[in-house]
Amino acid sequence: MAAIDKPSGPKAVAGSSWWEKTVDTRTAYAYLVPAFIVMAIITFYPLIYQVWMSFTDYGVRSLNPNSAVYLEPTWVGFQNYADIFSGRISNIMPNFDFWRLLAFNLLWTFSNVIFHVGIGILIAVVLNIHGLWFKGIYRSLYVLPMVIPSLVIAVVWRNMFDPDFGAINQGLNIIRDFAGLEPLRIRWIDETAPVIDFWGLLPLPMSFFAVLITNIWLGWPFMTIVATGALQSVPKDLYEAASIDGASWTQQFFNITLPMIRPAMVPAAMYGTILTFNQFNVIYFISGGGPLRQTEIMVTTAFRLVNEQREYGLAASFSVIIFFVLLGLTLLTNQVTRATESYDDA
Amino acid sequence: MTKKWYLLVVLMLIGALTLAACGGGDTEEPADSGDDTTNGDTTMDDGDDHDDDDDHSDGDDHDDDLAGTVELWHAYGTGGAEEEAITAIVASIQEEHPELTINVLQIPFDQIFNKWETEVAAGSGPDMFIAPNDDLGNLSRSGLVLDITDLLDGKLENVVDTGVAGMMVDGQMYGVPESAKAVALYYNKSMVDTPPTTTDELLQAVEDGHILVQNQNGYHLFGFFPAFGGQILDDAGTTACSSGEEGFVKAMQYLVDLKEAGALYETDGGRADTLFRNGEVAMIINGPWTLGDYRADLGDDLGVAPIPGSMNPAGALNGIDGFYINPNTDNPELAVAVALELTDQESSQMYTDMAGHVPIRTDVTSDDPNVAAFAEASANGTPRPQSAAFGNYWGPFGDMVTKVLEGNVTPEEGVAEACGNFQAAIDG
Repeated sequence: MAAIDKPSGPKAVAGSSWWEKTVDTRTAYAYLVPAFIVMAIITFYPLIYQVWMSFTDYGVRSLNPNSAVYLEPTWVGFQNYADIFSGRISNIMPNFDFWRLLAFNLLWTFSNVIFHVGIGILIAVVLNIHGLWFKGIYRSLYVLPMVIPSLVIAVVWRNMFDPDFGAINQGLNIIRDFAGLEPLRIRWIDETAPVIDFWGLLPLPMSFFAVLITNIWLGWPFMTIVATGALQSVPKDLYEAASIDGASWTQQFFNITLPMIRPAMVPAAMYGTILTFNQFNVIYFISGGGPLRQTEIMVTTAFRLVNEQREYGLAASFSVIIFFVLLGLTLLTNQVTRATESYDDA
Repeated sequence: MTKKWYLLVVLMLIGALTLAACGGGDTEEPADSGDDTTNGDTTMDDGDDHDDDDDHSDGDDHDDDLAGTVELWHAYGTGGAEEEAITAIVASIQEEHPELTINVLQIPFDQIFNKWETEVAAGSGPDMFIAPNDDLGNLSRSGLVLDITDLLDGKLENVVDTGVAGMMVDGQMYGVPESAKAVALYYNKSMVDTPPTTTDELLQAVEDGHILVQNQNGYHLFGFFPAFGGQILDDAGTTACSSGEEGFVKAMQYLVDLKEAGALYETDGGRADTLFRNGEVAMIINGPWTLGDYRADLGDDLGVAPIPGSMNPAGALNGIDGFYINPNTDNPELAVAVALELTDQESSQMYTDMAGHVPIRTDVTSDDPNVAAFAEASANGTPRPQSAAFGNYWGPFGDMVTKVLEGNVTPEEGVAEACGNFQAAIDG
């Protein structure tokens, strides 16, 4: 209230002390202080601490200075980063190759997001058809993947991918039986022979497709919800005008629907990208990064460095690298799609 | 009205969830309360008044009248025979020592070493845990298990040498040995009359339709390497595949032949177990920790034999289970005394009778021929090296086993790569 009561005329500006300069904003800062203190303790401090950790040889014995076995972490500079980029940590993680890992992680992310957005929009458009029966039921059904804990989903899917008793192989074989074909035994998780190997640079085993299928199932409903919302705001008269002009259904979709829902879809896709890039649960609990660590992503590797190798310093460096990769990715997408610009600015 | 009802239901749901969350937290409590488990008033009577009416028929002369609270972690499977055994043993000890409380907490096996390391390094953790000596070398070198050489002085007279050696790193004792662990060949007597004794006989049995299921990893298949003359590490712990690669290539070729003859290889141990327990396969290579559970399913049809050898007897990796003490414990004397109670004649006999543990005490006997077969497997086994170098075996050889058995590479290529990576990792 003080800011409003106080006259902020020439008199206040004349004195150039800090107290007088901040006369208008003082209260605002006062209100921000409690939130800032909480943020500083629970967000900024761990972040900075982790960056510091990434420059040390922090290990399990550095956890508690009061412990009898305490070992003070020593500053190692960029050693952890050098070990990661050069693949020298393959001593503790066999066949580790940072660039292959990064390439796989990006491929994983983009293949997922393309399916999420594509299927999401398609289903939203279909469910938006005027006069469709039981719309409410469909719309409540497709939030199911979002409300079930992803660990539960991962365990259920892992069992469904079982080569002998899993629902997927059994379902496929019922269809094949109808068609008069021999039953198949697809080893979804354990098969090491690559399905596609991109000239040996980036082998993709069957388990990649297993985790991809699961994550597509997990990811499209969110995109459908966003697209459904965006579709409600597309004026109906645009479609009427288009059909009077003789535009076909596909022309209407590509020239009206897509451009109109783009401002809503692009930020959602960016959010989906970041989420998928770090999709720990699906990878870790379905394929376990296997076989032969071919489906490991960066965040599961960082987890293994801590949980299996107790290399806290290395894992911290890994997380910092993940941060910069995601930052770069976001800036790039932002640049390409002008997501944060609205049509008014254009 | 409906709005109010709605609000009430939501509030009740939130309340229920909160309560459920708190309930879940309570079960975790013992893990965090390392500080107050052994408080000041816990005592171990070191006086001269030995109890004469000691009905605990152990040969060790440690003092009685244990009093206080000790927290113990184990990694026995939930609902399994081993868990029943430790529950019964703990109950029997507590009955004998009314002043003593042993809090037992089960930790999944794949997490027990991690949890121990983290908790102990952070200055807390339980007083002790029981596990195989898989990671003892690293734990002792980082000071995450207590050196109890002095406390055990003269107290392990009834324990065989391999048992004591399994708890020793660089001449110091870091645990109280409980049992021996090496894998052997289980067979279903209703399908296999006489177990194969050589690798050729095993191959023939598989070709005749007696299916063998194998756990596809570098641990369960380890015994075949020495059988074909492969030595994984020299005594100094500096040279990988010190026998040359030939023995490993032969062993891998044999495992591939087995697969082609019809043997199954599983990466999921649970699946392999199920196949054997349901009687769908005739043989499996596994350790004594499953003996109690297999016996429950197969009864008298269950037989155990050593893993068939070739030019040498098969030398499965022989581990020793033991109780390790937390360096943060307030009362190491009490913890060691309890560990000795848990491994004395009476307790060991219970472990052997109930869970099929292979005893490492001279005064524990078993008339179960299956336990005897495991004892023989342990005696012929390769003692698990505790050197830092051996820790580098698992990655390269685990990958090699997968690649060769999946047919991605030939045994020659796979072994050459694995030995090369193993050596590179040793050299750092």
